[in-house]
Amino acid sequence: MLLPLTLYILLLTFVPVLQAIGMSFTDRYSGAFPSLSNYQYIVGRPDFTAAFLNTLGITALSVSMEMVAGLILALMLARTFAGRGFFRTVILTPMGVPTLVAGAAMLYFFRTNGYVNEALLRLGLIDVPIYWTESGLRGVFAIALADMWKVTPIVTLLLLSGLESIPGDVYEAADVDGANRWQSFWSVTLPLLMPAITMALIVRAIDAFRIFDVVMVMASRSIPVMSTFVYSNYFDFQDPYSASAAATILLLMIVAFIAAYFLLVERRRGELA
Amino acid sequence: MSTQAISHPAAAAPRSGTNAAATRLVLRIGFVLLAAVFVVATLLPLLVLLKVSISAPQDIMTARPPFLIYNATLEHWRALLNPATLYGPARHSLLVATGTAVLGVLIAAPAAYVISRMPRTWRYGLILGLLFTQMFPDVGIAMPVAITFLRLGLNDTDLGLMLAHLVPTLPFVAWILVGTFEMIPREVEEAAFVDGNGKIGTLARVVMPLAAPGIAVAALFAWLKSWNDLVYAIYLFLGERTLPLMTFYYSNRGSVFDTATFAVLLTIPVMVVTLALQRYIEAGTLSGAIKG
Repeated sequence: MLLPLTLYILLLTFVPVLQAIGMSFTDRYSGAFPSLSNYQYIVGRPDFTAAFLNTLGITALSVSMEMVAGLILALMLARTFAGRGFFRTVILTPMGVPTLVAGAAMLYFFRTNGYVNEALLRLGLIDVPIYWTESGLRGVFAIALADMWKVTPIVTLLLLSGLESIPGDVYEAADVDGANRWQSFWSVTLPLLMPAITMALIVRAIDAFRIFDVVMVMASRSIPVMSTFVYSNYFDFQDPYSASAAATILLLMIVAFIAAYFLLVERRRGELA
Repeated sequence: MSTQAISHPAAAAPRSGTNAAATRLVLRIGFVLLAAVFVVATLLPLLVLLKVSISAPQDIMTARPPFLIYNATLEHWRALLNPATLYGPARHSLLVATGTAVLGVLIAAPAAYVISRMPRTWRYGLILGLLFTQMFPDVGIAMPVAITFLRLGLNDTDLGLMLAHLVPTLPFVAWILVGTFEMIPREVEEAAFVDGNGKIGTLARVVMPLAAPGIAVAALFAWLKSWNDLVYAIYLFLGERTLPLMTFYYSNRGSVFDTATFAVLLTIPVMVVTLALQRYIEAGTLSGAIKG
């Protein structure tokens, strides 16, 4: 009974992944294998450097904003208050919005004649409209915000279920020991929430590294990221070899991030415990 | 700021009565303000999309766009609901999403059932392995798939796109279904088996009905993932278009109104399904993963 799923994943996930990795090490003119020529070719290109840095920037910014907002929302939702059900429903609505649509919506905020500029102009904070969707920090910020809007609910749910699994009596113990709210948050809630935080962080970071839809809609040409770089090498330059090399580098970035996280954060936590 | 600490009067006990009451009031006002900020930030982008989709050009195509709607129009919706534009993409999107959901459950359910009856360590190992296949970027998987499908004549076909959408969908469908089957106690199954139902009979008459809600959630999940997908569609559908491709196409051309209208249209079914599913999303699928 395992056969259909196993076959499917072998044929349509493992084989394509191996094909892509294989292609990335095949010289696109001579067909020589193994060869690093595709890697040498893309690493030397300025649009690759931009894509690489934008991807890192977007991931760092959006994941940290999501984690903070998600944690605040989860802590709010862990309480009982009037209107909690309504609040929860509203907060979770972005889950019901396609990622692509999140990008489209942000388009109207971050266009040169968009609502962010209009608001800043009316408040007198700027005199000249800002061009947001350019490569660099501004573009990274606009895209990270779009990504954050879409996925904060998922982070919230992951952290909320983590919070709900913390037994109430540990708080009572902290209370008896005279801990105030901050102390019990830092020394009780946060450490016990670490497994949920790790889970949310890893899941989100993997997705943020692979960000595609939002960027395609908001700035398909002006802000390259790794995924759109792969896409445009394949489609615009008809070069699946360089595209594969970029996809493989993106995979390595994700693996490196996860390895680094477990080495730095999880191991240290293990030593402390 | 945890529930327990705040609801505990003991936490504020050392302070004097009025001071504590004042602190509580400030905290409560802060809480309400914060909640309001989150609500506004969440709803604003959606309201803006709706607004653009029903605004006349002079309200949007200006250097200083107003925040409110001064000239409402249904012109963009009328243009969108034209069968010549809408019929093809809507048909592709509906067929592919439905096909992905059905095939996804058919392929993943048997495997999920077997996995759910395995020892704990095997179970989690396999599920983790499945999810780790998702680490490789979609854009990298879609490319060799597109090259192969081109040879097989599957590009620009609904079947081809369904097969491609199963790649990112199957691991999650399997994950949800393993969780569903785990919930069904073995004893129920054994009792049915002893009663002379046979292996197939037990599965069909006892296990499947009990698993039906979980199967529905998994199927809807697959449906949504396919309905929303841009990555695989952009690689495999070069002539034809799906609804996400239409949205992307218009945004890429800078057609402000078509982008907004298509975006709203794309969102409506997803919103309905997600709201209906909300209860289940909390209860089973996500939390199971952390608590293990």
